[in-house]
Amino acid sequence: MRNKFDQQLEMLHVELIKMGALCEDAVSSAIEALEKNDIVSADSALDTDAEIDHKERDIERMCMKLLLQQQPVATDLRIVSAALKMITDMERVGDQASDIAEISRYIIESGMSINDDIRKMAKEAIKMVTDSVDSFVKKDLELARKVIAYDDVVDEWFAKLKSDVIEMIAKDSTNGEYYIDIIMIAKYLERIGDHATNIAEWVEYSITGVRSKNN
Amino acid sequence: MTKKIFRSIIFGSVITLIVSFVFIMGILYEYFNNQLLSELRNEATLAELGVEEYGVDYLENIDLENRVTWIDKDGTVLYDTTVDAAKLENHADREEFKEAVENGSGSSQRYSDTLAEKIVYYALKLDDGTVIRISSEQYSAWALIASMLDPLIFVFVIIVIISILLANLLSKKIVKPLNEMNIENPDIDANYPEVMPLVKKIRKQHILIERQMTELKKNEEEFRAITSNMQEGFIIIDTKTLVLSFNNGIEKLFDVHDIKIGDSVFTIDRSEAFRDCVESSLKGKRGEGQLKYNGKIYQLYANPVFEDGNVRGSVLLIVDVTEKEKREELRREFTSNVSHELKTPLTSIFGISEIIMNGIVKSDDIPKFAKDIHNESGRLITLVNDIIKLSKLDEGAGFGDKQPVDIFKMAQDTITRLDSMAQERNITVKLTGEKTIMESIPAVADEIIHNVIENAIKYNKENGSVDVFAGKENGWITFRVKDTGIGIPDADINRVFERFYRVDKSHSRKIGGTGLGLSIVKHGVSFLGGELSIKSKVNEGTTITIVFK
Repeated sequence: MRNKFDQQLEMLHVELIKMGALCEDAVSSAIEALEKNDIVSADSALDTDAEIDHKERDIERMCMKLLLQQQPVATDLRIVSAALKMITDMERVGDQASDIAEISRYIIESGMSINDDIRKMAKEAIKMVTDSVDSFVKKDLELARKVIAYDDVVDEWFAKLKSDVIEMIAKDSTNGEYYIDIIMIAKYLERIGDHATNIAEWVEYSITGVRSKNN
Repeated sequence: MTKKIFRSIIFGSVITLIVSFVFIMGILYEYFNNQLLSELRNEATLAELGVEEYGVDYLENIDLENRVTWIDKDGTVLYDTTVDAAKLENHADREEFKEAVENGSGSSQRYSDTLAEKIVYYALKLDDGTVIRISSEQYSAWALIASMLDPLIFVFVIIVIISILLANLLSKKIVKPLNEMNIENPDIDANYPEVMPLVKKIRKQHILIERQMTELKKNEEEFRAITSNMQEGFIIIDTKTLVLSFNNGIEKLFDVHDIKIGDSVFTIDRSEAFRDCVESSLKGKRGEGQLKYNGKIYQLYANPVFEDGNVRGSVLLIVDVTEKEKREELRREFTSNVSHELKTPLTSIFGISEIIMNGIVKSDDIPKFAKDIHNESGRLITLVNDIIKLSKLDEGAGFGDKQPVDIFKMAQDTITRLDSMAQERNITVKLTGEKTIMESIPAVADEIIHNVIENAIKYNKENGSVDVFAGKENGWITFRVKDTGIGIPDADINRVFERFYRVDKSHSRKIGGTGLGLSIVKHGVSFLGGELSIKSKVNEGTTITIVFK
């Protein structure tokens, strides 16, 4: 017979998967809004972010209950504490997604559209979020490490976009606001990549018990 | 068990102890009494002789253990060995004295005030009428019992200790064969016939359980066999979304190989549609949704499982509907195409006839408009004819019997028929091959050859060329048409045989045709049992090869 504690841990795992999935949804909706100039998707990203905040509080409460009532030790304690840290990062991913959605509304309303590089960078960021959640779901250490290493790719994209935007502003200063929006989106995507890395690091920690040094 | 045995043993032992104690006490007490009495009698006889011989001197000089009293006839105490005679009261009313006076001897016993002691008296009448009395103290029964209490308690403690040891040992011994019994095939030592009913019961139970297990296993195997051969994915989950059972279909559909019983179903898929379905079913409402997974479309059904009115879990069924969805899309496209193709000429005819009817058109212009009406209705007739041909091919009937057909000659005739069309755009049509007779249905074969060559001319460039081959190649009857036309893009090459499919939708009206030509070719070839292949490169041309094997 599985005892109550095991059941609670399992519930925690399920809730974390759901929250991770919501993060993926929020980021993809925000990017979809940009790609398809779709206000509805932008709104859906904002809604999902609200849902993520709600979920964060739920999971936090669950973790506190587990800590206080069951007083877990060793691996179990690691899982609960990793979960507590992970939801903070997931919540931040949701926030960045809603920030992107806000900007995408301005861009859509001003009749502009995003360029190819942002699209590619967004794809990489989404991949990182998906993979980090995947690594948690499947308790896949290798995938988690891959995500951690992949952060550099997104960082490079940001550096590239930054120099591109500088160049573009120099050439065409009339659309300055638009370029600032672009660089903001790129920055948010870069932050999403960082949070995905953090999530992957927490996955690594909950499996191995060792914290990555480069955090 | 040990407690019960202990209780029985100690109960038995204590009862035995008490009973034997009472008996022994009774017998012993009686015995001691008699013993004492006879001792007193002897002493009295001795004292009698002594007193008769020496008088009081005897009594004063002898040393007796017991008290001796010499009493006169009237009961006055003459002498007493322990107490001063003068202080003693008259003994005339003493029982033993009265008895001795009457019968020559008498005895009596009296308890002390405390009941702890009993004094036994024996009196003997002397010849001179005086009475000599001997008395001795004796412990009473109670005193005896009280004195036995210590050893009794000691014995009781020993009994308790032995009982505990025995009970432990016994219960172990009794239980040992039961514990050592093989439950699979229960049997027992002949020394334990008392356990036989239990053994029989276990055997019966065992057979019953085995039967039920086989039944269950069979049911489960049946269930597994059914579900594992299902193309559809099948998962049963509990209220916490944990997987209770799943089939191979799931692993194939989601391309996962490490699903574990007890994992959350969200480890398989966590897309919004999936989550919504599962969550709604766990709230007791049937969920239905479509998932997109790796370019495929899955239909998901989530049915709640109720027990006593409460949701106990959910059964998920996942069906790959990619093909169905694609067909559905084709059907929608087909319907819209067919209505478009039918509507366009009809709208022209309707519009032209309307302006003629209203008298807007000058009589000089009427022939021109009449020609338009004629052309458009001609288009409609061709279209309807093509649709009829196609449906005939679909039904596979109505073309008459097979007969020898020379496809070389048929191709030659077709080229002659289409000569003017080719010359309009300065396209050279060249025919190679030789007379080739095959068993075929002429109407269908002609339709195929005509359509393929016509397409090669229609979709050619100005000054292009068409190479037609009709003959035998590698022993097979082969018909090939190669053009230098506009070609077909790779994305469309598999769709050109679909009904009403047009590669270039905007130009189709200029070129004409119904969009059914290649569809008729494809159906015709398969109707005649041939094989059709197409190769094309944009701006270089298209080659269509038909081989009859």
